[in-house]
Amino acid sequence: MDEFAERYSMSEDPATGEEVAGDAVFPYFLYKSKGTDMTETPLSVSELTKVFRKSFGISSFKAIDSISFEVRKGEILGFLGPNGAGKTTTIKCILGLLSPTSGKARLWGSRPASLSVRRRLGYVPENPDYEDAFSPVEFLSMFAHMRKLPDDRKMHELLLDRVGLKGWESVRIRSFSKGMRQRLSLALALQPVPDLMIMDEPTGGLDPNARKEFRDIILEERDRGASIFLSSHLLSEVETICDRAVILAKGKKVTEGSLDDLLRVEEHYRIEYIDGWKTPEETRNAISVDAGNLQNTIDALRNEDRRIIGIDQEHRTLEDVFLSATGGGRR
Amino acid sequence: MRSVMTFALMTLRSLLRRRTIYGISMVLLLALFGIGQVPSFNVDSEGTFLLDFGLFGLEIGALLLAIGLAANIYPRDREQRTAMPLLAVPLSRGQYLMGRFIGAALVQAAAMLVGCIGLMLILVMHGHPIPSDLFPAALLLIVEGWFLLAVVFFFSFWTSPPLNAPLTIMLFVVSQMTVLQFVELFPQASGLMRFIRLILPHMDVFHIKDPIAHGMEIPSLYFLLAALYGLAYMGFMLAVALAVFRSRDLK
Repeated sequence: MDEFAERYSMSEDPATGEEVAGDAVFPYFLYKSKGTDMTETPLSVSELTKVFRKSFGISSFKAIDSISFEVRKGEILGFLGPNGAGKTTTIKCILGLLSPTSGKARLWGSRPASLSVRRRLGYVPENPDYEDAFSPVEFLSMFAHMRKLPDDRKMHELLLDRVGLKGWESVRIRSFSKGMRQRLSLALALQPVPDLMIMDEPTGGLDPNARKEFRDIILEERDRGASIFLSSHLLSEVETICDRAVILAKGKKVTEGSLDDLLRVEEHYRIEYIDGWKTPEETRNAISVDAGNLQNTIDALRNEDRRIIGIDQEHRTLEDVFLSATGGGRR
Repeated sequence: MRSVMTFALMTLRSLLRRRTIYGISMVLLLALFGIGQVPSFNVDSEGTFLLDFGLFGLEIGALLLAIGLAANIYPRDREQRTAMPLLAVPLSRGQYLMGRFIGAALVQAAAMLVGCIGLMLILVMHGHPIPSDLFPAALLLIVEGWFLLAVVFFFSFWTSPPLNAPLTIMLFVVSQMTVLQFVELFPQASGLMRFIRLILPHMDVFHIKDPIAHGMEIPSLYFLLAALYGLAYMGFMLAVALAVFRSRDLK
């Protein structure tokens, strides 16, 4: 039994070995009973375009342009792009907060306006804000009612404990820091035991410890079977936890693929050498060659009486991929 | 419905924690008690004066309360992004609008009832009987207040709060005018003016202060029909407000 299951009173069925809700502290059972066909792709976006019109329609701005991608069941999809690339606009179209100019977004094959699918969704907004006259427990209670879930204080406290808000259950949100509000938004997103979590810069502004806690929760949710759509600026974070990534630039999708595919470089080698045997090592040079030219280059360097001091295979980071795809990098 | 009522209660609690409402209610009560001090110096028929000005004060109070309660709800939710988490996940736009409206309507009704009780106290303190029609009149004022709330909500989806108030007040004034008064504004286009007046709300149906103040009996059916008219128009305004809200992007 994993830590998550233990925390939420899950237990193993001795007959099947499957995890089942113990004393129903967490309402898993509600989730599987009704509505949407969960075999469908959790999120699919097809040719989505959003044009903002300004000044009585005289001028317009295309925020996103024919974007298509999907989030598959049980995967974490990283959604990357520079500022103004259209990430948040895409998310708002997916959630029905913005109406797309053309194209469509579907949650389990249904329109985003459908409450039955939205109630099974977790959403962590960028810079979350809530009416600050309420406490986290009050908020969870109200959201439970609105989501037609049991309003169980113990369950709310467990959720708040899970996101690191233990001890703050009854304190008004007014006194919360940005990080604490983000923790609350994570608790609200986790409340329905979501099959899909849409997260818009969830760790922006968090300290490294909190970021790790968020990452761990995201991975726990993925391991439970949830799909995660993660928009983030933190490339290292995406590189660490995502299975696939979509990169946007200027409103258009420029790259999509699994992390393995994106980070794979055709075999490139970096050769470091020194001009002549008596030259000090500090004056080393380097060249990059592909595998086909490696031997010829080594021979050529030797023939020119240059001392080779190292040959390393080159690696690409997600940052390299990002900079390359968005036109900000060297490759 | 459960979602709407939960959100309405949340709105109610949120509004009750704002000082503006208490400020408006206090001003209203002070105005009512102030009216109670005037007649002893100026008017012979004190009871008529108290009822006439008291009910007028309550009507103006309903207008101010509607603006104070609702003009800033949606713009504030949009500016502070508190609407996003709600509309992104558990609530539809219709549920949001109804929840906010019902919450504000409950506060409005409570404030109007307090005002009405205040007026009754003033009458009793000055030794005047409480007319039997005062309570139904108060209920009509509540319906009028709800209608004004719906108007304020409607304007709030496409104007800023500073513009919402004058627009609502303008509609309040215009909807009190008779057809003839309205046509006199632009006599050259009398047909058009008649048509516009026809579709604009007729809030004069809520004007029962004069008959009550002068001791005239008002048929129960009138109260019922006036209340139904107000509720129907309120529903229409909310439907239009929802249509506007649904067409809005939440940036």
